[in-house]
Amino acid sequence: MDFATLVAQLNTGAILPEIIVITTLLIVMVGDLIVGRTASSKWTPYFAIGGLLTAVGALYFLWDTPTPIAFLGEYNSDNLSILFRGIVALSAAGTILMSIRYIEQSGTALAEFLIILLTATLGGMFLSGADELVTVYVALETLSISSYLLTGYTKRDPRSNEASLKYLLIGASSSAIFLYGTSLLYGLSGGETNLSEISTQIGAAGLADSIGLVIALVFVIAGIAFKIAAVPFHQWTPDVYEGSPTPVVAFLSVGSKAAGFALAIRLLVTAFPLVTEQWHLVMTTLAILSMVLGNVVALAQTSMKRLLAYSSIGQAGFVMIGLVIGSDAGYASMVFYLMIYLFMNLGAFMCVILFTLRTGTDQISEYGGLYQKDPLLTLALSICLLSLGGIPPLAGFFGKLYLFWAGWQAGAYPLVLLGLLTSVISIYYYIRVVKMMVVKEPQEMSDAVKNYPEISWELPGMRPLQVGVVLTLVATTIAGILSNPLFTLANDSVTKTPMLQQAMERPAIQVSREIDRTPINL
Amino acid sequence: MMSTQFPWLTTIILLPLAASLFIPVIPDKQGKTVRWYALSVGLADLVLMVYAFWKHYDFQNPGFQLAESYAWMPQIAINWSLAIDGISMPLVVLTGLVTTLSILAGWKVTEKPRLFYFLMLVMYSAQIGVFCAQDMIQFFLMWEIELVPVYILIAIWGGPKRLYAATKFILYTAISSIFILVAALAMAFSGDHVTFNMTELGLKEYSLTFELLAYAGLLIAFGVKLPIFPFHTWLPDAHGEASAPVSMILAGVLLKMGGYALIRMNMEMLPNAHVFFAPVLAILGIVNIVYGALASFAQRNLKRRMAYSSISHMGFVILGLASFTEIGTSGAVLQMVSHGLIAAALFFLAGVTYDRTHTLDLDELGGLAKKMPMVFALFTVGSMASLALPGMSGFVGELAVFLGFTTSDAYNPTFKAVVVLLSAVGLIVTPIYLLSMLREVFYGQEGKAVAGEFLLDAKPRESFIAACLLVPIIAIGLYPKLITQTYDVKTVQIAAHVRNSIPLVAGKSPDDLAHFSVAPNLSISSPSRLLGIVK
Repeated sequence: MDFATLVAQLNTGAILPEIIVITTLLIVMVGDLIVGRTASSKWTPYFAIGGLLTAVGALYFLWDTPTPIAFLGEYNSDNLSILFRGIVALSAAGTILMSIRYIEQSGTALAEFLIILLTATLGGMFLSGADELVTVYVALETLSISSYLLTGYTKRDPRSNEASLKYLLIGASSSAIFLYGTSLLYGLSGGETNLSEISTQIGAAGLADSIGLVIALVFVIAGIAFKIAAVPFHQWTPDVYEGSPTPVVAFLSVGSKAAGFALAIRLLVTAFPLVTEQWHLVMTTLAILSMVLGNVVALAQTSMKRLLAYSSIGQAGFVMIGLVIGSDAGYASMVFYLMIYLFMNLGAFMCVILFTLRTGTDQISEYGGLYQKDPLLTLALSICLLSLGGIPPLAGFFGKLYLFWAGWQAGAYPLVLLGLLTSVISIYYYIRVVKMMVVKEPQEMSDAVKNYPEISWELPGMRPLQVGVVLTLVATTIAGILSNPLFTLANDSVTKTPMLQQAMERPAIQVSREIDRTPINL
Repeated sequence: MMSTQFPWLTTIILLPLAASLFIPVIPDKQGKTVRWYALSVGLADLVLMVYAFWKHYDFQNPGFQLAESYAWMPQIAINWSLAIDGISMPLVVLTGLVTTLSILAGWKVTEKPRLFYFLMLVMYSAQIGVFCAQDMIQFFLMWEIELVPVYILIAIWGGPKRLYAATKFILYTAISSIFILVAALAMAFSGDHVTFNMTELGLKEYSLTFELLAYAGLLIAFGVKLPIFPFHTWLPDAHGEASAPVSMILAGVLLKMGGYALIRMNMEMLPNAHVFFAPVLAILGIVNIVYGALASFAQRNLKRRMAYSSISHMGFVILGLASFTEIGTSGAVLQMVSHGLIAAALFFLAGVTYDRTHTLDLDELGGLAKKMPMVFALFTVGSMASLALPGMSGFVGELAVFLGFTTSDAYNPTFKAVVVLLSAVGLIVTPIYLLSMLREVFYGQEGKAVAGEFLLDAKPRESFIAACLLVPIIAIGLYPKLITQTYDVKTVQIAAHVRNSIPLVAGKSPDDLAHFSVAPNLSISSPSRLLGIVK
């Protein structure tokens, strides 16, 4: 068998974007070795961004591909995976924009950071399309292990070390639990690893009602919930977010989370159609807990990073509404929300990084009176936070609107009402920060703002940060009003993904959707 | 509803918003250029809307005019659709007038002027958007856009307790506006097709229970804004703490959004439920009138006193809406416009007084008449209008509401008598608190805060603003047809619409609903069956 037929048989073209990322990674690594640390930091970040954007470009050409299955069923490059891979890649690109100055200032090597980040991105992208248990696990571990490394990247900072260790311990155990769940699946299906085969085989063996399947489900969900930081698997989030380098937090809260959601959709829909009722129930519980706990605990935070940590837990809760209603619009609204979340959350983190770089603190009270000293930063952070809170006409409003729209359409009234209520709560803590920055009078300025340095974008690595802030600001402002293309994209990704369409045709899902309906008969 | 003509309403709505985006880049340090810029934008928009309505609006047509509709997010059935009719047209013009004047009133804002004028222009757009929106999600969007600007406007340029007031405002409004979205989703998804268009939603058939639930939800949302007792407690704080230009908009325009939405949604879209809720509204109306007036009497702060008087006056709007008569509905709209002008004038003059005396405490004021004769004269005219002196717009509005309610055939005479009697009590208290306010501020001994101080009388700018508001008040008072002719055909239609549903509801109303209300004694075959009331 020659190489060309092998490539054709494996359909290697489906992972072209990942190949581009790998190539970028290798060039960055080798280039860094050759030219040395100082010289390489001048070009590697831009090269990495270029590589990631090229990968996104390659994804564009894979859209609607007639042959999505690659590597003999191990990998599925359907439209849904393409969107999620795009989100992961873009979040990595955004993370690089904000990390250049940050890493520079922390005195660590930039190229190594990029290498680990690109590896994590690779893991996230593979995870979005993995269609087979081994691939899923390998991709998941690639993402996880590089994430542990990233959280501990500023190695001279004890908090970063603590975060890394904590993340590693909890992550490793959740990984083990996930692996145990998949091994149960493997056994129950009589040795199948392909996700759709698993469900067929379990159904054929008459094990649909077996307790083993439910246990497998619970274990798998535990692993996924850890990745998307859903309550009660969220305990690592605040500490890890607080201690890790801020760009890493941005990646964890957007890229890693998006990959987790991609995994959740694919695994739950294809491997567990026999217990749809059960996983809907579990995910509904997780969604409710995440929305309530994330948003309520965020009220009490004094550190900006912790606030964003809890807010991201709450945001994950909103996204899970789309997952549990299991309709076309539900999945589409999830994807839509994650696309918008990408802009607004990255934007918020960029602003936090900018503020930390200039003042060295991330306490919310230190933001007092920032409007006087830095209007651009104030504007960008206010817009991103208000968008996260769902204030119109910003992008986040439309994202939430679509989620609630889909929820109501599917009859999940209590979930939607709870979502609305908790998003009002979230407005309170987001606007508290805005108030701090905008409303405080000159004499009430915090010490950090009083000693605010002259605004200068000249330092190395500041220009990309400025570009990132402005880009996310513009995107967050207009992506909502002009969201028509995004809507189409999200809807297409769902309606043109065979996996989801098959799932929706199955009667099991219909039954479970009845469960979500409440006794309120209007 | 596609229209080939020039998109007037979109232009009117987007002009201030688009203009506000340039404020950060205007080269200007002291805020002098910015204020001229904001004023000219406000004025241009006002001129534009008056021109558009003058040229293209047909006063005899009760339907929607200047309609435009563009697919915005067809995936979730949301359109950008705008139109105006007799109810919204006067309110749009009122918004233009009051907002432009409040920009002029904020002439002396020296603290963060860019932000101030930016927010004012954003509010301008959002308010007009609320009055013109024909899509419920679009309406909700506009309704919410105004939230953050008001919050910041109160929180930065307000009085000593401004943060508390601003937070209270945003929590009340944000929580209550959930109900708008929920009602919109519920109504959109009921029936066989999904739509958010208000006209289409109004044509859908809903079950009575559904209508009652949706009505109750919307009533809470709009009741907070209007405000209706017991959802009013944010108002005295917000209006009392906000600076004069912001109070002008709050009292002049924002409260009207609640009244407008009650007509547009509750009455037009859910007429069957309105039949059940009308008696409740009437009772809440009296509570507003009497409670607002009594509470106002007890206030020792000038602006809080006016804020409570706003609550009292908005009670008449609710009463008018509950009347089921043409004249009552017409009176409610007239009362909204008239109160918009009067409240804006009074809050502005209170601001003028505050600028000089630096206190709003009635105990510290006094004897200002000699020092500021012009302010005194204007203040007196405003107060007279507010206490419904014949010849002023307030009188016409309240009279029409009374007339409408007494001639209403939907209620039994006892209920009508009690309602009218109690609201008349409110009418008697109104002059007492307003005149005593005048006395405490302008007559008698000089107060602590002003004794021996030299106080400048109203400047031409200030007299001009007050005059712009007071002239229409007197004009409407002398010749009400000036304003009523713009919306009469529409209010007639609305009154007929809700009256038509009385027999409809009586026909199919289940008996278990029959005992939860006291009224209407209907002029139809079997009214007693409706609510279990014997004539």
